[in-house]
Amino acid sequence: MQQEAVLAMLAKEPSSGSRLRARLNDALGPLGEAVNEGQVYVTLSRMEKAGLIARGEAAAPEAGRKVYELTAAGQERVADWLSEVAWPRPDLAEFHLKLVAAAQAGLADPVGIVDAQRRELLRHLRDVERAAMAEPGGSQAGLLLEGIVLRLQADLRWLEACERAWTNWRKK
Amino acid sequence: MGTALLVFRLAARDIRRHAAQALLLVIAIAASAATLTMGLALNGVTSQSPYLATRAATTGPDVVAYLTSASQATSLLRASGVAGHSGPFPVASATIRFDGRQADVFAQGRSTAPAAVDQPLLTAGSWVRPGGVVIERTFADALGVTSGDRVSVGGKPFTVAGIAVTAAQTPYPNLCNGTLETNSPATSKFSNACPPSFKIPFLSLPGGQELASSDEVGQIWMTGADATGLASKANPLTTYALNLKLANPGDAQTFAYEHFQSNPLAVSTWEGTASEDALLVQDGQGVLQPGALLLALLAIASVAVLVGRRLSEYARRVGLLKAVGGTPGVVAATFLAENLALALFAAVIGLVAGWLAAPLITSPGAALIGAAGAPPVSPGTVAEVIGLAVAVALAATLVPAIRASRGSTVEALNDIARPPKRRDTLVRVSRKLPVPALFGLRLIARRPRRALLSAANITVTVTGIVTVIAFHAYADNKLSGAVALTAGGLSNPVINRDEQMLTVITVMLVTLAVLNALFTTWAMVLDARRSSALMRALGARTRQVTSGLVVAQVISALPGAILGIPLGLVLFKAAVHGGTLPPATWLAAALLGTLAVIAALTIVPARIGTRQPVAQVLQSETA
Amino acid sequence: MSEDGSGAPIVRARGLRKEYGSGGGLVRAVDEVDLDVAPGEALAIMGPSGCGKSTLLHLLGGLDRPDAGELWVAGRRVDRLSERGVAQLRRHDVGFVFQAFHLMDELTAEENVELPALLAGRSPRQARRRAAQLLDQVGLSERAGHLPSALSGGQRQRVAIARALANEPKVVLADEPTGNLDSAATLDVLRLFEDLRAVGLTLVVATHDERIAATADRMISMRDGAFAGETRLAGGTRGNLAGLAGWGE
Repeated sequence: MQQEAVLAMLAKEPSSGSRLRARLNDALGPLGEAVNEGQVYVTLSRMEKAGLIARGEAAAPEAGRKVYELTAAGQERVADWLSEVAWPRPDLAEFHLKLVAAAQAGLADPVGIVDAQRRELLRHLRDVERAAMAEPGGSQAGLLLEGIVLRLQADLRWLEACERAWTNWRKK
Repeated sequence: MGTALLVFRLAARDIRRHAAQALLLVIAIAASAATLTMGLALNGVTSQSPYLATRAATTGPDVVAYLTSASQATSLLRASGVAGHSGPFPVASATIRFDGRQADVFAQGRSTAPAAVDQPLLTAGSWVRPGGVVIERTFADALGVTSGDRVSVGGKPFTVAGIAVTAAQTPYPNLCNGTLETNSPATSKFSNACPPSFKIPFLSLPGGQELASSDEVGQIWMTGADATGLASKANPLTTYALNLKLANPGDAQTFAYEHFQSNPLAVSTWEGTASEDALLVQDGQGVLQPGALLLALLAIASVAVLVGRRLSEYARRVGLLKAVGGTPGVVAATFLAENLALALFAAVIGLVAGWLAAPLITSPGAALIGAAGAPPVSPGTVAEVIGLAVAVALAATLVPAIRASRGSTVEALNDIARPPKRRDTLVRVSRKLPVPALFGLRLIARRPRRALLSAANITVTVTGIVTVIAFHAYADNKLSGAVALTAGGLSNPVINRDEQMLTVITVMLVTLAVLNALFTTWAMVLDARRSSALMRALGARTRQVTSGLVVAQVISALPGAILGIPLGLVLFKAAVHGGTLPPATWLAAALLGTLAVIAALTIVPARIGTRQPVAQVLQSETA
Repeated sequence: MSEDGSGAPIVRARGLRKEYGSGGGLVRAVDEVDLDVAPGEALAIMGPSGCGKSTLLHLLGGLDRPDAGELWVAGRRVDRLSERGVAQLRRHDVGFVFQAFHLMDELTAEENVELPALLAGRSPRQARRRAAQLLDQVGLSERAGHLPSALSGGQRQRVAIARALANEPKVVLADEPTGNLDSAATLDVLRLFEDLRAVGLTLVVATHDERIAATADRMISMRDGAFAGETRLAGGTRGNLAGLAGWGE
């Protein structure tokens, strides 16, 4: 779980752990189901140890509840994170090497590997589609799902290209 | 130079790709060019007057006099102004019989030696000899004789020695057409004098009235002895012909007036005879010129349809040319180059065809030399015909060309043709109707301008057909009043010639009308290809689609056809003064017949279209 | 997921062949294709452009004639049908969605949608009612009176789909129904297809869009006019969506 994301969620206002989790679920929609309560608290305590957040008491309406809030260091970290433009790294090299190794060592048919991977991605795609169709139009979670769909599509296209190429090489 | 080459290459390639359309364009323009050529040739013939050529070749007389005795010639020959003469020749009246036909003739007795004045020019055979007669050419045609045939004249057997033309008498059947005398020589007309002493009933009309049915007298020549031999107690020789040449041919009218005031039927002048000859030809023009005009209109209409169709194909090419830097001028030039090239080609074909066909029409009574071969096609004629062809091509292509070159490049490249129109009421009404009507009405609503063009084409077509019908009705009247075949069985060459002209015009008008209708219906079916395919894709039966196309065509044609009837009658009236109108039943039949033909012509391409699988049509057609 | 294979296939093809050109330029657009489609099945035919899937779909819908082979649709032998018989097929059994939409530009959305019903002989009122219902189903009720030029690509596609449903066909053949659509519009079309399948419609879609393929019962890939492979996605796992998005590890 991305530390900075959780951290940034606290920028709006201090929250209890359960409040935080609720807000995450809202934003992530179906993906939020994967997040269990325990993981949130683990992340929170780690960040507390790092000095990015501090525990405190809630304000009036929720007096008595334990809430977390950003420290100065935490705020700085959030600001940095927001202006960061590093993009999640793609993971293609690993799969590519898998195919190369299999072909070189004669361990398996690369085309078969590609096929199996394609099928798996298609299954994922189907799941995401189903989730997307269940979302009301214009929801934030829907946007996230669209992103997943598009990347899966891109990956599937590459896999198609892989299949063509490796079929060709296999003939030689 | 480069641009010219490019233009030429593009034009040539496009013509080859659309060979069928190019051919149709050529046919349309060639037909009207041919008719115009014939009309102009006829015009040329009358204005040039081949009579003069005949007169020169036969040493034609300035004055021809019919005398009751040979001695009357003496005083005439001594009159001032007379410079030469031949005769007096005995003129016997007799009946000629050949092959079941018979007619009355004036048989002039001649010597075998050539005469100084009026020596008829032989067009076949040889001159008179004992037992051998020479027959005037038009008369010979009507009688059906050729050189060498055996005929009977006055009960006696003769051989036809030859056929000849003369300038001394008007050719058959206007030999005796009467004389108009007024108070002055200038306004008098002395033509076709026929001796009153002949026992031919219609000649004894007083006052020189026009003799409408003197069809039955023909001119022949024989030896003097044979001619006098024809006389008998019952049929005495009472007439002598005298040919006079004057010192000043211009004095002929005055001379005739002075010497024959009391007996104008006995004299004719060369001017009078010339004008009678011209009349024969002039009324032919009354048929050909409106005919030519009509054909030109039809040609323009057909061309407009053909070119209009190709406009959308041009759009893409225009876009390409402009995208690579072609100026509007270049674009317009390519567009025009094709059609002009085709038009010029068609004009040449039309000129040649008209030149070859003209003798059919222009042989003026067959009696004047000028008709022996094809009439000369003067530079003026050529210029006019080519001018017509170019005008036709320009008229039909200029507007689309300019519009195409001015339009937006991007639109042209994407081939965004003008979007189809929408007519709320029509669409709303049509959904309540059965499928053919639904489809047909929507087709019309989609492209109202095309429907209008279609209607205009049909108007021109029907105008042509109505004019032809009116002519036929009029001609029938004329012919039944006149004598198509004389009592003796001879055909009337004027009427023959009229009928011939009428047939030629009719054939050409009907052909062009059919072609025009064909272009229009075919164009409409092609325009509607995509819509037709879609209807089939959505479940319409092929018969419904075909019926819909017929509905669209007939509905858009109907107002045009109805308009064509009064237009055709107006045109007819303008061309034939005093012509009577054809009966309403004929006109109604023409209207219904035209609509039926249009429906039939639509069905054929429609049927062919529905054979093609829907997918192929949709893939090849853009919006 | 729909069950398979109860009863006879609603589409059955044996040895379908379609060629274009001649001599050296001969192209086998469809090359000896055998196909069975069960009633209620959603079939995706996938392949790159030019592989022949559009041509195959045209053959299945009777929009083009095969050069060889046999074809049965809804119990009728299609390859031998006359034009009239094929028109009947399109009026009752098959709805076709074209890649280029092929709407009539001069008709509004509802006039376009009601057209097949009018052609099938329904009364104008019935046809109009059906059209309104279908437009509602595709979510275009407020646009019923608009001309195609006033509609976006996605909206036009939906009108085309609605039109294909006008005569309650048993089979819907769709040629690249999402080819011209953006991501959001594609989702709309996917939803619509799900609704159709829920009422038992058979769906055959030619597409190179993996999204449609993923939600189909069966996927056939096509190359150079022939079928190159078939995939059924087994299992109903929800999978780990979060993992796909990089969240939660």
